[in-house]
Amino acid sequence: MPPSTETPPPGEAFFASLLLLMSGFLLWSAHGISGFGSTVSAGAFPMGAAAVMVVCALVFLERAVRRAASGGAMSSTAAASAGDGGVAGVDASPSPAGPAGWRRIVPPVLLWNTLALAGYMLALETAGFHVSSGVFLLLSMRLLGSTRWGLNVAVAAGAVAAIHVVFQTVFSVVLPAGTLWQG
Amino acid sequence: MSEALQYFFMSWVDPTLVLLAAAGTFAGIYIGAIPGLSVTMAVSILISFTFKWPVNEALVLIAGIYLGGVYGGSRTAILLNIPGAPAAIATALDGYPLAQRGEAGRAIGLSTVMSVIGGFVGIVALAVAAPAVSSFALHFGPRDYLLLALWGILLVGSLSGGSLAKGVFCGALGVLIASVGLDPLTAEQRFTFGSVQLTAGISYIAAMIGFFGVSEILAQMHRAHLKGVRQDVSKIVPSWRMVRSHLPLSLRASGIGVGVGALPGAGGDIAALMAYDHARRSVKQPTRPFGQGAYEGLVAPESANNAAVGGAYVPMLTLGIPGDAVTAVIIGALYIHGLKPGPMLMIETPHLFWFTVGSLALANLFLLVFGLTGIRLFARVVDTPRPLLLPLILVLSVVGAYAIGNNIVDVYWMLGFGVFGYFLKLYGFPVAPVILGMILGPLMDRSYRQAMLSAQEDVLTFATEFFTSPLSATLLAALVFTLLSQTRAWKRLRGRDPRP
Repeated sequence: MPPSTETPPPGEAFFASLLLLMSGFLLWSAHGISGFGSTVSAGAFPMGAAAVMVVCALVFLERAVRRAASGGAMSSTAAASAGDGGVAGVDASPSPAGPAGWRRIVPPVLLWNTLALAGYMLALETAGFHVSSGVFLLLSMRLLGSTRWGLNVAVAAGAVAAIHVVFQTVFSVVLPAGTLWQG
Repeated sequence: MSEALQYFFMSWVDPTLVLLAAAGTFAGIYIGAIPGLSVTMAVSILISFTFKWPVNEALVLIAGIYLGGVYGGSRTAILLNIPGAPAAIATALDGYPLAQRGEAGRAIGLSTVMSVIGGFVGIVALAVAAPAVSSFALHFGPRDYLLLALWGILLVGSLSGGSLAKGVFCGALGVLIASVGLDPLTAEQRFTFGSVQLTAGISYIAAMIGFFGVSEILAQMHRAHLKGVRQDVSKIVPSWRMVRSHLPLSLRASGIGVGVGALPGAGGDIAALMAYDHARRSVKQPTRPFGQGAYEGLVAPESANNAAVGGAYVPMLTLGIPGDAVTAVIIGALYIHGLKPGPMLMIETPHLFWFTVGSLALANLFLLVFGLTGIRLFARVVDTPRPLLLPLILVLSVVGAYAIGNNIVDVYWMLGFGVFGYFLKLYGFPVAPVILGMILGPLMDRSYRQAMLSAQEDVLTFATEFFTSPLSATLLAALVFTLLSQTRAWKRLRGRDPRP
């Protein structure tokens, strides 16, 4: 996806902190595999990789904090940073920190769809592929703004039927049948 | 030779394989054409359905999806000024102005024919170069593989995201994800945290679908409300005269495509941009000024990005090193099918090599057929409202992840990686190095330990040996140069960084 913005959205320093925490934890875990005992131990190479991650995460955090300090607020990192990626559609201009900034990073439509996807996955084995997929498709289409229920039902039913024929019948993929219907 | 020809044409005479080549190319074109849905994503999702198939069927489908996907991105670049894939960014520069002049049909036709020519040049290069590279690769030692893999990750990291540190971070993360489970040499548990599920490791296909598919769809939700733009397309088959007049440029651009595609980490997107730059420099009298609808600006990138496909197969099949993100995904699939890409592939299973070359050639022919037909259907697919399309792709991703081993845990991993990948992309981290790290991690770990053992665990001897072998020294120099070229001091020296 081509980046639409020159600058990353707010929350960069927070994200860099999380990456540093994660990298530190991985380094500690890698050390726990076999310690510093041997240069060819099972943990030697993972430890090296985790150490590289820690160093990189420190660099990100230092840059993000520096940008935040020069901008005066966490959210203004967006305006000051020289980002090289991003997600098209995310407004990267400075905004008040807090809920407003987070809503721009994770808008309600994305949050609700992710929760619907998680619920769909949890329901897969219980309700089975066909029912859970149908319900998820209808719910997700509605959440994304498609209000033509007739069309939504037709597309959802057609898609589930097509997946059943193509994948279960032709590709021999075993789709979850659902424990709920098996008694 | 006759055996090679026999295997080359195997996919051409079997109706099932012909059908799969057609289906793969068709699916690749249409998925690659939808902006935001990358060819890597298409390959990641569709490949997961082939794991239970015989290897030939899977190889044919993969070849079709890859070639079709690289080409498909050009259509939306021409019609909507939105490259369907990074490899089509350069195509939009002159393709869209052509569409604005009412020449969309002609532009699509020309780009199709040039893509097919580029594709064939890449395939010929693969057939000629791969056996030679493979013989040479037999001289590679563990040290060289370690360096080559490191170089590949560095190149992908620096080229795909712009920030080397971000690329390196993601590559190292991929290496760590790949090391989860039992150590293949000592059977010690690594990052399992006492979980039985984790001892089997994390499926890289689930990670691929998560990082490339789910994260992409989540990112697309920011723009779910946007409507497509309808375009008219007319007659598209270009005249022979037009093709002939652009043939020399197409062949030169294809050469660039093959060379760049064969470099570890550099794929069709870089090849297309370099070929466009070459056209601008070498064509003194373009049909129109570049950027305003010059045919040459369309011919060069389209020839190069499809030629890069054949080029990318060379290091993948001969060294086991992916040429780009798509070949990283394909290597993963080959392992699952019991194949080991590398120099021994050509020796142990030469028939599979020639079969792959033949499949690519067949898929390239289908590219010509589908590229010059079905434009109306194409326009309808591109117009599909996102609120309907995005949930459908999510369901396909779930089916793909579940199909790996009929295990719901793979689906959970996919979601986890998808959400994490979304945030990585949001803050400008390239996700391709994660997958490359996952694929190359075990090779690097093994190579490092073999090299260290051969140096009797003496760090100084281990380090010295990098300079005593000419091959290792060359690879080390390439690696160091890649690192240096990303530093601010180097960019200032080259006048690309105005910051003090």
